Amino acid sequence: MGEETINALAGINLEIGQGEFVSIVGPSGSGKSTLLNIIGGLDSPTKGNIIVDGQDLSKASDSELSSYRNKKIGFVFQTFNLQPTYNALENVALPLVFARVPFGKRSQIAKEALETVGLGDRVRHKPSELSGGERQRVGIARALVNNPKILLADEPTGNLDSKARERIMELLAELNKERGLTLLLVTHDLESAKSADRMLHMRDGQITESAERK
Amino acid sequence: MSFPDLLRTAFSNLRRRKLRNSLTILAVVIGAGLVSLLVSLGIGVQGFLSDQVRSILPSDVVMVASNPDVFQIGLGGLGFAGKPQQISGNQTGSSTLQPLSLQEIQEVQGLKHVEQVDPFIILQADSVRLQGSQQRFRTDNRPQPEYQVKMVNLVAGKYITDQTHGECIIANQYLDVFGFTSPQEALGKEVIIQVTQAASLIGLPADTKEYSFTIVGVTEKTLSSTEIIVSLTDGEEMSRFWANTPDLYTNKIPAAILQVRVDGSQYADQVASEVKDLGLGEITSSDVLGIIGTIFGIVQAILSAFGLIALGVASLSIVNTLIMSVYERTREIGVMKAVGASKGTIRILFTAEGAAIGFLGGAIGVAIAYVLGFVIDRVSRATFLKDFQTFNISVFPWWLIVGVIALTTIIAVLASLYPAHRAAGLDPIESLRYE
Repeated sequence: MGEETINALAGINLEIGQGEFVSIVGPSGSGKSTLLNIIGGLDSPTKGNIIVDGQDLSKASDSELSSYRNKKIGFVFQTFNLQPTYNALENVALPLVFARVPFGKRSQIAKEALETVGLGDRVRHKPSELSGGERQRVGIARALVNNPKILLADEPTGNLDSKARERIMELLAELNKERGLTLLLVTHDLESAKSADRMLHMRDGQITESAERK
Repeated sequence: MSFPDLLRTAFSNLRRRKLRNSLTILAVVIGAGLVSLLVSLGIGVQGFLSDQVRSILPSDVVMVASNPDVFQIGLGGLGFAGKPQQISGNQTGSSTLQPLSLQEIQEVQGLKHVEQVDPFIILQADSVRLQGSQQRFRTDNRPQPEYQVKMVNLVAGKYITDQTHGECIIANQYLDVFGFTSPQEALGKEVIIQVTQAASLIGLPADTKEYSFTIVGVTEKTLSSTEIIVSLTDGEEMSRFWANTPDLYTNKIPAAILQVRVDGSQYADQVASEVKDLGLGEITSSDVLGIIGTIFGIVQAILSAFGLIALGVASLSIVNTLIMSVYERTREIGVMKAVGASKGTIRILFTAEGAAIGFLGGAIGVAIAYVLGFVIDRVSRATFLKDFQTFNISVFPWWLIVGVIALTTIIAVLASLYPAHRAAGLDPIESLRYE
């Protein structure tokens, strides 16, 4: 008996251009999320390099990685991961706290982000007072608030009904087109995946198929 | 994360688990309250005793005696439980005194920083009574040099000088027994002090003499409740009769003890050590205060130990509270990391929460102790300390307040190191999945 090393990702060679919308599909455990986490600086590859915007993440220190996550990356989670005791504005402003943005300026920026996602009238609401779709919009506003270059969305519509799902997908696509945000979307939903510029299929830690949209 | 944000977050997180955090803070409050109250009572009592010592032995005075052993304080000096003390040189005993020689007095007078040298007048008066009354009362008759007289606070009348003849200042407590309703009423009245010669102390035939004094001043209440202050001139005269030695305090028979005033209390110990080098006995108020300070230091340390034990237990409670908090907020920690919090930020955030518990506990504890001290002060002044209205039994100097709050904060920071380390080390991906 001993510890067995499992390669979540193996031999991936992937290049994503700025402003590109890439979707990643594949069965559970195929390494989709691991790929996203590595690109997002939450995880580090045991081997190989990951270079984002000229910065080699595999060589970055903890504080460099956290600053990278803060400034260049916006995470959108399946379960929203909002702080239940904070209202929408405070949730959205959280990344600004770590970016050392002064208190007064924070609410202004956070409010603008909430307006972008169409929740300008919900700033004082707690997550429990919002619908699932609205919560995810707060989650997206939080991801946007620091003006990142890349949006990483891991099953962002997994917990939503079909109507809310459509609207969230519309919002993400809009952000990609109008703001030029690079969007990486991990999803089980082929319909959503097909709206991307490029769709990657993953299995056993490898990219098995890459399809460009015609 | 900026410092104001850190504080804001730490305090707002404390509000999230009100009951649990309140109980933890309460534990700190008990410890901090105990430590600060006990230390404050100690400071109060010690301060009071020190004031009393200074009124008898001012800080700029060195007492000088012909016998180097006579002022030695300690178990050996008391002949109790210590090693039997060796008698110095050609002295007759450890508590006997020979008159100082003129040469010795001149040597003392010639020392640097010595300003004034007076004989220390020894005498024992039997009693005092009001002129026209037969009721006699105990008295401690203390002839004092002018500068020392002026250190006593008067509630009525004036001070006496070294040359004053036939005038005295009485202790406040005499007002009551003499039947005066106000200090002013006592001024100008005559008291008769009776002195019986020292030979009577060992049962030998002795004469008795009465000395009449006009009351010119009344002191505030002090522990010296039977004190009647007279001038050096009058004291010498009474002492010569008491000792049955007409030449006492003259060049023929100089004093055995000198009260030496130096030109600044900071020089007292220096002069004392030079006196010691002359082969004479010496004592200063810092010697006596040092002994009082040592005794109180020990008593306070023992009492404070209880408070420190309470603080130790409180620190365990802080560790417990924060570890629980780390578990509950695992997901939140994951989110914070995902949006840009470094390990260091998470660590400092939890440490700040611990510090906030310590700070609040310390501040509340000191505040409660302050109020309790105030109540004890008032109650004791209304009851057993009625006669000492200027005595503060509970004293809170700024350093005690700051010190206790700093102590609890530091203890809390130390207690939060491990939970904070755990929080910082959490894997963000695992944390985000944590249910």
